[in-house]
Amino acid sequence: MSRVMALGAIRTNWRSSNISVVTRLAAASAVLGVLLIVAMLASLSMGPVSIPVTHVASIVLEPIGLDFATYSRTEELVIEQLRLPRIIVGALVGMALGVAGATMQGLFRNPMADPGIIGVSAGGALGAVIAIALGISGIFYQALSAFAFLGAMGAAFLVYGIATVGGRFNMATLLLAGVAVSAFFGAIVSAIMILVPSNEALREILFWLTGGLDSRSWEHVRLAAPPIIGASAIIFVMSRDLNLLMLGDDEAKSMGVRVGAIRPGLLAAASLITGVAVAVSGTIAFVGLVVPHMLRLVVGPDHRVLIPLSAVGGALFMVIADTIARTVVQPAEFRVGIITAFVGAPFFIFLLIRNKRHTTAF
Amino acid sequence: MNSLKSVVVLMGVLMLVLAACSSGSNGDSTSAPAAPVAPLSTVLNGVPGIVDPTNTGWPRTVDVLNGLVTIDAKPERILTVSLGHDEVTYAMVPASRVVATGSYTKLAQHSNVAHLAEAVGAITLDAEQVVSYNPDLVIASPFTKADFIDALRNVGIPVVQTKLHNDPDGRIQDIILLGYVYGEVDRALELADEVRARYDALREVTGSKPVSDRQRVLSLTSYSDKIYTAGANSTEGGIIEAADGINVAALAGLDGNPTTSLEGVISMAPEVIFIPQPPDSGEPFREQLLANPALAEVPAIKNGRVYVVPNKFFTTLSFWNLRGAEHLALLLWPDDFNSGEFVGFSFPE
Repeated sequence: MSRVMALGAIRTNWRSSNISVVTRLAAASAVLGVLLIVAMLASLSMGPVSIPVTHVASIVLEPIGLDFATYSRTEELVIEQLRLPRIIVGALVGMALGVAGATMQGLFRNPMADPGIIGVSAGGALGAVIAIALGISGIFYQALSAFAFLGAMGAAFLVYGIATVGGRFNMATLLLAGVAVSAFFGAIVSAIMILVPSNEALREILFWLTGGLDSRSWEHVRLAAPPIIGASAIIFVMSRDLNLLMLGDDEAKSMGVRVGAIRPGLLAAASLITGVAVAVSGTIAFVGLVVPHMLRLVVGPDHRVLIPLSAVGGALFMVIADTIARTVVQPAEFRVGIITAFVGAPFFIFLLIRNKRHTTAF
Repeated sequence: MNSLKSVVVLMGVLMLVLAACSSGSNGDSTSAPAAPVAPLSTVLNGVPGIVDPTNTGWPRTVDVLNGLVTIDAKPERILTVSLGHDEVTYAMVPASRVVATGSYTKLAQHSNVAHLAEAVGAITLDAEQVVSYNPDLVIASPFTKADFIDALRNVGIPVVQTKLHNDPDGRIQDIILLGYVYGEVDRALELADEVRARYDALREVTGSKPVSDRQRVLSLTSYSDKIYTAGANSTEGGIIEAADGINVAALAGLDGNPTTSLEGVISMAPEVIFIPQPPDSGEPFREQLLANPALAEVPAIKNGRVYVVPNKFFTTLSFWNLRGAEHLALLLWPDDFNSGEFVGFSFPE
């Protein structure tokens, strides 16, 4: 189906009863939610330290009084301090990338848009690479995340600044500015990689650029959860407006959308959660592109459904990918960014081939 | 006719003198008397890469990673591109014969020859930059790109690409091969004896221990939240074996230097953990390990046996790793080394 037809579907559907939206959302959320819980519990049960499932269940359910198995202190600490925070950070990052991807694809009316399209990922990468090259990342805790976040936000402000004229910005200019800033920052990263004297630092940069969830702690959960959950909620609230923006600015305005406020608001929220995700996990490719796209093939382009499902779907995808990353060659680890591409790309291609004759996306 | 005879006799004498000179400077020392050919060729015969062990003159040919390479004369302007080769080279030839090194070699934290390399230039892997030093021999590692080697060959600079080994026998052979390439076989044999003697001294202590006393050892480094370990076929793994420890990462099936996790550390249950990285990043990592409650039952953590060690002994790939093995052996068997002090290796005068 063409983009025009898809927009027509939105035009027709958004006026239809909210009950159908709620029903679709509830049904799909229930399915994905159950899958996410199962994936998180399975992930909690797997790792280099062998812990019986009954012990895992007992440790997880102990806070609500269901303590039915005897487990060791080490098992408890492995679950509580090592696996659980890592899984939660993974879910948050997946949620952020999924929501940001769906938002960017909607805003740019382009299914190939991803969270990094306006330079946020490249900025985060540059910040992290500077921290590594200067040796700051090994000296004080959270330096890498802080630098990555500053880089991501710096890139976002720079791109917005370039695209803004007289207090308003043009989406085409924004897109081009994002491409240019990403390329420029990418060149700086490459230059640093050539000039950095230490092999360890070089290896560290390469590893960071593929994204990972190594050694994520409750500190990272505390850092990532409020902005990701908060900004995702804001995007969800604005999802009806995002639907209307896809009809074009004039039509959206005629339906009461404050285009001048909603669009930068959505961009800022999507940039924020992408920046936070990059800060705690490095640049993980493919999640923000493939998850919303896959879900759109299943549930259609209505962002009132797509945004929350992209959150749950992104979380599910990341939890599965990270479980594979940390167990497939244990006690060594794979980079989760490699797994997301390995798992996501073939599945994405499969869906594209399967749906190419009757795709309804855009 | 008489004059012809005189010329023939004179030429014969001259040839004998030249032959004697050639034998006397059999490439391996400029001032020392000629080494006996037979024992020397016997020693060289067992060294992979030396094509004709009986040829101790110039030119000489070696069969190395980049094929057959002929060196026309004793190299006087040597340039090496890897830290490990730099460390072997400086142990073999006077520093004045090295014209440039890799930048890593100049960093005292990582290099055992930084004090010697500080006076020479640093190179990147740009062929033109290398040519600017006018070297008559370049030594490359297995990681040096083929096009870089080809570019140097095309401008007439011989390149010898060799692998450095991390086992005792391999290290001795590395030393002798490079000694042959540099025309310093005497010095190479002297250094080989020194290295061999220190291996033997180490084995004398560790070999006396019952197998049941061998300790489970894990090498860990951490850079920016990621934790790396050292499995089989790694430099650190070779050091653990030389110190007669059990490399638990290799035991867990790991190869090379993969990343691991804190949970991986728990599952490998080491009795000793060593951290071969600079103190400014190694000490905070050590503190993190010791303070993490999830690791409290790991034997090495429980008993406080987590050590930051000088990475220049543990992460370089040269005979200086033996110094790392001595350091580790002292940590494993503190009561068995009288002085508790080890010295470096000798350099040519």
